[in-house]
Amino acid sequence: MELVFISAAPFVLALALALPIAPRILNQTRQTLLSSLVMAALFAWLLSFFPSVQNEGAVVQTFDWAPSLGISLSFYLDGLSLLFALIITGVGALIFFYAGSYFDEASEYNRFMIWLSGFAGAMLSVVLSGNLLMMFVAWELTSVTSFILIGFKGADDAEAREGAFKALFVTGGGALALIIGIIMLSVAAGQILYPEAGLRFAADFSEILRASSLAQHEWYTLFAILIILGGFTKSAQFPFHFWLPGAMSAPTPASAYLHSATMVKAGIYLFARLSPVMYQNELWSGTLLTTGLLTMLVGAFFAVKQRDLKALLAYSTVSKLGAIVAMLGLPGQIGVKAALVGIIAHALYKSALFLVAGTIDHATGARDIDKLGGLRQRMPAMFAVTVISALSMAGMPFFFGFVAKEVMLDAMLRYEGSLSLLVMLALIFSAAFTAMAAYMLIYDVFLKQPRHKLHFHKPPSLIRLAPLLLSALSLSLGFLLEPVITPLLTPAVPKSFELHLFAGFNDVFALSLGILLAGFALFLARRPVIARIDLPLSCDMIYKEMLEYIGWAGRSVLHTQSGYVRYYLSIILGAVSLLLLVSNTLPSWGEILSYIPSDLSLTITDLAKVFMLILTVTAGILTVVVREHVKAAIAYGVIGYAIGVIFLIEHAPDVALVQLLVETMATVLIIIMLGRIRTRTRYNVIQNLWRGRHSYKLGLVRDLVISFTIGGAVFIFSLIALRNRPEQQSIAQWHLDNARLVATEDVVGAIVADFRGTDTLLEIAVFTTAALGVLTLLARGRQSGSAFVPRTAQVGSLREFDDEVVDEIQDATSLSTPFTRTVSYIVLPIAILIGIAQILYGGVGPGDGFTAGVTIGLAVSLWYIVLGYDEAKRQLPWFRPEIITRLGLVIAIVNAAIPLLLGRGFMEHVQYDQELGIYDLVGSFGLHLTSSLIFEIAIAITVMGGLGIIMEAIAYPAARSNGGQQSTDAVHATE
Amino acid sequence: MIEFMFAVAIGMLFGIGVFQLLRRDLIKAAIGFAILFSAINLFFVAVGAFEGDFAPYVSNVEAGRSTSDPLVQALILTAIVVSFGSFSLVLGFVNIISRRFDTVDSNDINKLKH
Repeated sequence: MELVFISAAPFVLALALALPIAPRILNQTRQTLLSSLVMAALFAWLLSFFPSVQNEGAVVQTFDWAPSLGISLSFYLDGLSLLFALIITGVGALIFFYAGSYFDEASEYNRFMIWLSGFAGAMLSVVLSGNLLMMFVAWELTSVTSFILIGFKGADDAEAREGAFKALFVTGGGALALIIGIIMLSVAAGQILYPEAGLRFAADFSEILRASSLAQHEWYTLFAILIILGGFTKSAQFPFHFWLPGAMSAPTPASAYLHSATMVKAGIYLFARLSPVMYQNELWSGTLLTTGLLTMLVGAFFAVKQRDLKALLAYSTVSKLGAIVAMLGLPGQIGVKAALVGIIAHALYKSALFLVAGTIDHATGARDIDKLGGLRQRMPAMFAVTVISALSMAGMPFFFGFVAKEVMLDAMLRYEGSLSLLVMLALIFSAAFTAMAAYMLIYDVFLKQPRHKLHFHKPPSLIRLAPLLLSALSLSLGFLLEPVITPLLTPAVPKSFELHLFAGFNDVFALSLGILLAGFALFLARRPVIARIDLPLSCDMIYKEMLEYIGWAGRSVLHTQSGYVRYYLSIILGAVSLLLLVSNTLPSWGEILSYIPSDLSLTITDLAKVFMLILTVTAGILTVVVREHVKAAIAYGVIGYAIGVIFLIEHAPDVALVQLLVETMATVLIIIMLGRIRTRTRYNVIQNLWRGRHSYKLGLVRDLVISFTIGGAVFIFSLIALRNRPEQQSIAQWHLDNARLVATEDVVGAIVADFRGTDTLLEIAVFTTAALGVLTLLARGRQSGSAFVPRTAQVGSLREFDDEVVDEIQDATSLSTPFTRTVSYIVLPIAILIGIAQILYGGVGPGDGFTAGVTIGLAVSLWYIVLGYDEAKRQLPWFRPEIITRLGLVIAIVNAAIPLLLGRGFMEHVQYDQELGIYDLVGSFGLHLTSSLIFEIAIAITVMGGLGIIMEAIAYPAARSNGGQQSTDAVHATE
Repeated sequence: MIEFMFAVAIGMLFGIGVFQLLRRDLIKAAIGFAILFSAINLFFVAVGAFEGDFAPYVSNVEAGRSTSDPLVQALILTAIVVSFGSFSLVLGFVNIISRRFDTVDSNDINKLKH
């Protein structure tokens, strides 16, 4: 359980900081203290797991998520993840603290911290999750938060936007490969672990790490490459490294945290995590080794050429990441120790250097090495930090970085591949350039005289704390190998090992010294050396070319688009019918003929059904062939009623009742809608359709063929379905047998309100959403609760706008005669009574919440039709559809949640009358006070409110809705 | 036999609905949309696991009478209301299109491209 809290805590912190009241309660100092204390507390908490990790190997905490798929919410803490989690929280606490003095403006700081804490949560989840799929989700979250942090100043900085996009493009693209690789790997592991289980995911690390023959699986090549791609893009390996320098537009604390200490190491974490089952294959080790070495060279080489301090650090990070990946690629896992020591050392010195760069930027406003200089006297603390960290980076003896380099060289010396000499050379070469960059950092920034006078304003003194602490660690950890580093690494490294600060004057030490001297030589000769570093083609250029091509391809695809929705629909449906025809999904002609029944006998009820079916189809054909829309609408109404009668004959009284009511409503709706469309508009389309242009015939044939094929396929599908009914094994029998458990006579009602109650709850929510959609479409600009506007004003505005409009049902008010008014006055109370009766006694006969809601809704819509919007609003002040709908949904949800308080399941049936001891009292009225009754009431209220919303939207005078008008302007504006 | 008739009717209704959707007249397309819903509801009631001569009430079950399938009925019941909701949304779209472009002929509207 604790691991859940640990990985959730930064998210909670982010949410807390995002609360609107947070900046008011907590000023910047307090926010800083709070957030860095949270991270420090998490660090301590994680540290408390250390003994159990040491003894048990791994702490696994699993919660079922989708157990049938093998997907669980699981957390996995072993030596490796503990190491990463400690870096994330430890470095995080320092950087969070640093950020407090880095930002001058409180609102900017708050926004930054929200995303930085969110990132910390995502990154912690990456390393703590015990399941590859869950890790992937967190992995993507880190990409997204990184995108936002890189583009933090994007509002007025095009470079930041571009860098953010680049990073997301590369890491997101890699993640696409990664997810496919993860799924394939999980399925492969499932096949290995559970050979007889069929398709089963094994995505938990505890499972994957047991699937030891994964490297021999037939899919190995494919998923290994995909996973490697994912890791390479994330960890900025060549040729994907170019996004990392581009990411330097992020505020420096983010660069130090994401793009040096943590996120870019996610790929490395993935490799290290999967290495135990993947490394036996040449492909894995070979790719990691060569790409890592290449990245290491490229990064070291280009780092010294950079003039921007942060870009220099970014390239040197790329180089170090490459070295670590290469270590992981050494065969036989001999490099794991070196990789892990390297990760710790790099996290310490590189984030310290980034923080120094940020402080210098803050103080002088410049990051260009050529402009900087002579800062030693002004920033002595930063000078000390830089000397320590840069020397650690160069691998000067007795700094922690020295240990890291020693073990790396040692591992390389033990590598006995065919190209071991070349590998060694590459390592020495890049190490020399890294040392050169380190000297440049010290001399060029702090010691040499600046060319021009520098602007300088003293940064807050607290800004020094985090870099000082980090560099103190770089300095001291080398001497604390025995008590701290060795035990920390022991659970994470597969073999037993020793670490020494000074292993004697052996060949490794000699190499080390040689590298430092070579680096110094390069530093002295830096001008000619740097001038020679040049590549005609950079990956960044290739990336830009590629973007150009993507844009070009997009524009060319646009030429094939017609923009007519109708044609897209024909293409989609036509493709479906083509597939149906070409593939052998459709049965052969002979088979179809065999479906035609030989027995033509029909019972009397069947005859009635056949009659209604014929009526349905005839009306359907009528909707096609009649020209006028009103007639088509009425024909549609006939279809609805005929189907209602079929429901009745099929012994489905509830459904029939709802169908008849809803169909009435639908037909009314079409006709009102027709009234709101200009007659000329409708006339035009009829003209176009029936006296068409030349293409008319061809289009007709095409549409006929498509609809005939699809109709035929549906026919065959339903015929097969109807002939293979499950008969008595159906779950329907269970419902019939158990309906009495919920004290309902009507089984359909029991299913709707109880057995499938959650389903119904969601359905009414969907219905409400649809109703709100209609409201936003048709009544935009309507003020909620604006009860009445004088009717004269309405008529006036109508005239002004609609002079030539609507001659049939111009406005609903034209229906207002004394007779219709009286009818609607009488109908409403009756409908309400019927509705109440249907709810209360729906349990014993037909009718339920839906019918009640629709009945009342119909009566209310009569008011709107007869009286018009304003008059109905005035006459029915209590009818506020939005509030009614809200009320209904709230009742439904509360009713569903109450059983939880009673210690039962969500939406479980509760018999309140028996619980409260009033069973006989209520029973004497023929009632049962149960949770389903309350749910039925809620359904009725929601449906009534939803219908009310729709009616209000439709009755709302078009002239007052600014929806159409405003949008026309918008359309013109975009053209 | 009655099953065959049901299948024919469902297939035809579905074909009519699709045909209406493909035509240029948006109002008729909306009606076709609603016909598709009707066809699906008809399919559901026809495909119930068993048929009976009585409505699915507990008293009928206890009396040993054969009842119709309650499950498909419950499914249709909610489906009818929800399909009405989406149908009114479609009508709302047609209405707003007619107001915005002053046409209900889908051949006059190709704004999707821009």
